[in-house]
Amino acid sequence: MKKKVAARGSQKKATPNDLAKVKIRQIPTGARGLDEIVGGGLPEFSFNIIAGAPGCGKTTLAHQIMFANATPRKPALYFTVLGEPALKMLRYQQQYSFFDPAKLNKSVRFINLSDLVLEKDLGAVLEEIISEVQASKPGIVVVDSFRTVVRKALSVSGGEMELQGFVQRLALFLSNWQATTFLIGEYTDGELRDNPVFTVCDGLFWLTQNTERNSVVRKLQILKLRGQESVPGLHTIRITGDGLVAFSRTHGLTASQNRPLNRRRLSTGIAELDQMLGGGILEGDSMLVAGPSGTGKSALATHFLAEGLRHGEAGIAAIFEERPKGYAARANSFGLDLNAPQKNGKLEMLYLRPLDLSVDEALQEILDAVERTGAKRLVIDSLVGFEMALAPGFRQDFRESLYRMIAALTGVGVTIVTTVEIEDSFTSFEFSHYTISFLTDDIVRLRYVEIDGQLRKVMVVVKMRGGNHSKDIREYVISDQGVVLIAPRQTDYVRLTSGLPERIGQSPPEPSPEPKTRPRQRDV
Amino acid sequence: MSEPSAKKLKAFAQQLLACEAALGNPVGAKDSRAFRGLAKLRAPLSKLIGVGGFRALLSRAQALAGEEVNWLYALDLKADGLLDGLETELTASEVAAGEAALIAQMTGLLVTFIGPALTMQLLREIWPEIPTPDFGTRGPT
Repeated sequence: MKKKVAARGSQKKATPNDLAKVKIRQIPTGARGLDEIVGGGLPEFSFNIIAGAPGCGKTTLAHQIMFANATPRKPALYFTVLGEPALKMLRYQQQYSFFDPAKLNKSVRFINLSDLVLEKDLGAVLEEIISEVQASKPGIVVVDSFRTVVRKALSVSGGEMELQGFVQRLALFLSNWQATTFLIGEYTDGELRDNPVFTVCDGLFWLTQNTERNSVVRKLQILKLRGQESVPGLHTIRITGDGLVAFSRTHGLTASQNRPLNRRRLSTGIAELDQMLGGGILEGDSMLVAGPSGTGKSALATHFLAEGLRHGEAGIAAIFEERPKGYAARANSFGLDLNAPQKNGKLEMLYLRPLDLSVDEALQEILDAVERTGAKRLVIDSLVGFEMALAPGFRQDFRESLYRMIAALTGVGVTIVTTVEIEDSFTSFEFSHYTISFLTDDIVRLRYVEIDGQLRKVMVVVKMRGGNHSKDIREYVISDQGVVLIAPRQTDYVRLTSGLPERIGQSPPEPSPEPKTRPRQRDV
Repeated sequence: MSEPSAKKLKAFAQQLLACEAALGNPVGAKDSRAFRGLAKLRAPLSKLIGVGGFRALLSRAQALAGEEVNWLYALDLKADGLLDGLETELTASEVAAGEAALIAQMTGLLVTFIGPALTMQLLREIWPEIPTPDFGTRGPT
């Protein structure tokens, strides 16, 4: 019925309000990760500025945009103005994978305006740009470095007004000629205010490069982008052989959420731990395994991975403290084979240890591996190693970054086991010094306790968001079978969580789970 | 990429000069094929690197080629990037040797800076028939 009404309605003469709004077509940036940050792509016919200090990747980004979009029918014009000499620019830019020599001159054209800027005024520069644009009808126009044009204008009296007029006319002309424009310039933060160039532009891309202790961190911020919603904040960028690569702060959170509605319980590979967890870890959950060094965090995580592999589920181990070979060898000593799954593509071990890593880069590596393998299980071993691999600047934001990372990964349906090393205190019972327990669904705490002259290990499930769990504190050992829980004891203790428990009740002495050194006969 | 081999560059220069000669212009001491060729190259290269950039590149090629063929030193490289001052007393073979040396050095500089692929793309815009060369390498310098 409603359809009929709608059909009748459609026969009416359309009013201005019924007509569709203009749809702004988006063009690709050619830089991995950047399309998502700008909200899908760059608005066509926009007038943009790529600004920042030297060495941030401005010219490289402009080249990526050009090569991604230029065609013989709608070429890209690159005007060089007293910046990097074009010959050297070509020499360096062709080292990047995006540089396609076949596009040069046919689709990508370089025009040098240096002589004109040196010898004539801005009016002549504008005339030359107009003349070239009218001749080539480009889809993309780049002026590099526009800062030189600005300096030229401001060097004469009344130059500010001349500059404003120049920018206004340039923007008007290029937009009307359906060109998406990028002005490249070296600017500092202090120059943001009252700048006529920034007022006119539709998009302002701000690139920075900071040295923090011994690490260099490059970041990108979209300060302005008319007509569409971009992802706010500072995004890490890296210049690689593929050019500028951007890592969105919200990576994955805006992607589709694949967490299944009816979630299975995944076995950890340790049957008794599964029972403690109420049947296993809920699919798509994030579990934190916290404990001091030597308590078997990595062993437990390896069980979890191997159990998935045993059922044909691909997995990923992001390891920071141990090399993949050593990690697999240790798993092998527990009877868990991580080598064969690596060979058949079911398991990827990511060894992430550059010392200027950002969480977003690590996340991208992991997400790529998830996509490659179709992984359902992920181990991050460990958070302490992860933090050490980050550039110092990123360590300050580690907790926030972890939140984004875990949310992004569980959002795509991956079940995560993360390990974290904590010092055992004999006065408190910490879960993690990162205070990140709020962002994990489940927490298993491992700790040492002193019993009968031995330093033994106990574990307890502290938290499970997805259901009830055992409250028992269970003793376990690490044997050639990996993590093995000991059958519940007859002996009762109190204050186990303190690490210095006290025996209560009158139960008979029980044998220790692992051999205890006995006094020699003659000493007795 | 390492610098191209001088011998192969010279062979390529001969081919380029032959292409230029095939365009029908007369060959003679006063009307150098190399001068005409460089004048043709001047337009796209000046667009790319400016007249000043082209002149700087050609002055380097002239200096390098002059070590091999001395009369090239006497040429006048004008501000607009055009060469002038070819001596009328030179024999045809002396002119040919100088032309080949100059074109070889100019091509060599382009190959060194932007690589063989982009150099050939640039040259083919002017001489579409020029065969694909094997520049070889001189080894790192």
